[in-house]
Amino acid sequence: MSLSNLIKNWSTLRVKRPYEDQYKDKDYKWAMVIDLDACTGCNACTTACYAENNLPVVGKEAFSKGQAMHWIRIERYWGEGDELPKFPDRGAQFLPMLCQQCESAPCEVVCPVGATHHTPDGLNSQVYNRCIGSRYCSANCPYKVRYFNWWQYPERAWPNPLEQQLNPDVTVRSKGVMEKCTFCVQRLVEAKNRARTEGRRVEDGEVTTACAQACPTSAITFGNLADNKSQVAKMWARQQVDLAKDKQEKSDENMRGYRIFEDLRTYPSIVYMERIRDLQA
Amino acid sequence: MKVHIRKILVWLSLCCLCSAALAEPFVQGGPIGSQTEGGFDALGPVVEQPIEFPHKTHAGTEPGQMGINCMYCHTYARRSNVSGIPRLDKCMGCHKMIESVKDKPRIKKLFEYWEKKEPIPWKKVHDLPDFVRFNHERHIQRFYFSEHRPVREVCGYCHGDVGSMTTARRVKALSMGWCVSCHQKDHLENANTTKTSNGPNDCWQCHK
Repeated sequence: MSLSNLIKNWSTLRVKRPYEDQYKDKDYKWAMVIDLDACTGCNACTTACYAENNLPVVGKEAFSKGQAMHWIRIERYWGEGDELPKFPDRGAQFLPMLCQQCESAPCEVVCPVGATHHTPDGLNSQVYNRCIGSRYCSANCPYKVRYFNWWQYPERAWPNPLEQQLNPDVTVRSKGVMEKCTFCVQRLVEAKNRARTEGRRVEDGEVTTACAQACPTSAITFGNLADNKSQVAKMWARQQVDLAKDKQEKSDENMRGYRIFEDLRTYPSIVYMERIRDLQA
Repeated sequence: MKVHIRKILVWLSLCCLCSAALAEPFVQGGPIGSQTEGGFDALGPVVEQPIEFPHKTHAGTEPGQMGINCMYCHTYARRSNVSGIPRLDKCMGCHKMIESVKDKPRIKKLFEYWEKKEPIPWKKVHDLPDFVRFNHERHIQRFYFSEHRPVREVCGYCHGDVGSMTTARRVKALSMGWCVSCHQKDHLENANTTKTSNGPNDCWQCHK
């Protein structure tokens, strides 16, 4: 960052984030809504993510040590907290957990080398070239969605000729760097470039993430929150979730939209819609 | 006496070598990304092409040179991430009709490839690392189509004046600091305005 840039953008750099109407005049703020009532826990999103983002399959042994590299994982909940499941025969509740792209991200402030920072369109970026593998960010992430390359996976995960399946738009990460969900930034950049050439903003539905694209029940909605007419912005508004608030005031307590660990003041970019269960039946 | 003459001759030749080395401001074919003290103009590695293609004759604008627009052959630059190497039939489209140069050694080579029905194995000169996302389209659209700067200048920002070279050589550093130095400048948004803006300053715009 040059000195002139620092002086020019001093007011926006020094302000506490997020603030009201932060993205009002901006072109993009990428956000997501996940409807847990529609999620069937089929893992299609995870599979799509593995294919899109060159995620290595680490194998049974590494998986048992918790070294799996799934940027989006399906969490299973059988009961609330420590209590026993009320309806074990009805199966688990599922929750797709991915990087929440927090507006005030705990991981960003602890990186000693500035490998992770906030992009102007509201993403929490991770630059592999800068990462030295201190793993502070992973330790400070309340969602535990940052994954560390403990081993040199590429040769093992994609033996010849499987390297042909790799996505050329995404770097193959090597040993010793941290990685995380990017909201499929390679697709976003491509869509933004195309839109800029045509002199417009990216339209709603023009670009989506691999997980949202693969979801058979359309439980995941992805879009631009800075665009009032986008589906995501409408859903956020309908659920009365405000990006810059850590406590949402809702007019109706039956409203399902919530953000995970809001009280930690991370201001996530993903709204989950609570699952409805018929407790009488 | 003979020994002395030999010694003097050795010294003389050493001096000649040293002065030649000092006169040369940069070493051709130095390590990738090496820079001279004055700026970013060390030549990249020498890449030997299958045919020594004379960019000078095709794109140069001096008398006797053709002055063809770069994008006549590198067609994809205006609409894609990569600028593209022209296919053999693009070369042949013109050279079939140009009788005067048909027996020149380079053109003979060209016709050999054509008859063998083989593509010419051109080699990459401006090779960015795999973790970098560079978009030709945005740069060309901005500076050539919106701002109407001359094409040889626009391409030359990163490729140097290829129109005065035979085979293309890397003359710019193509390092991150060098990219950023241009992205921080105020560029006019188009030809009809005085409004300026910078290039993107976001890691994820270029880093995959």
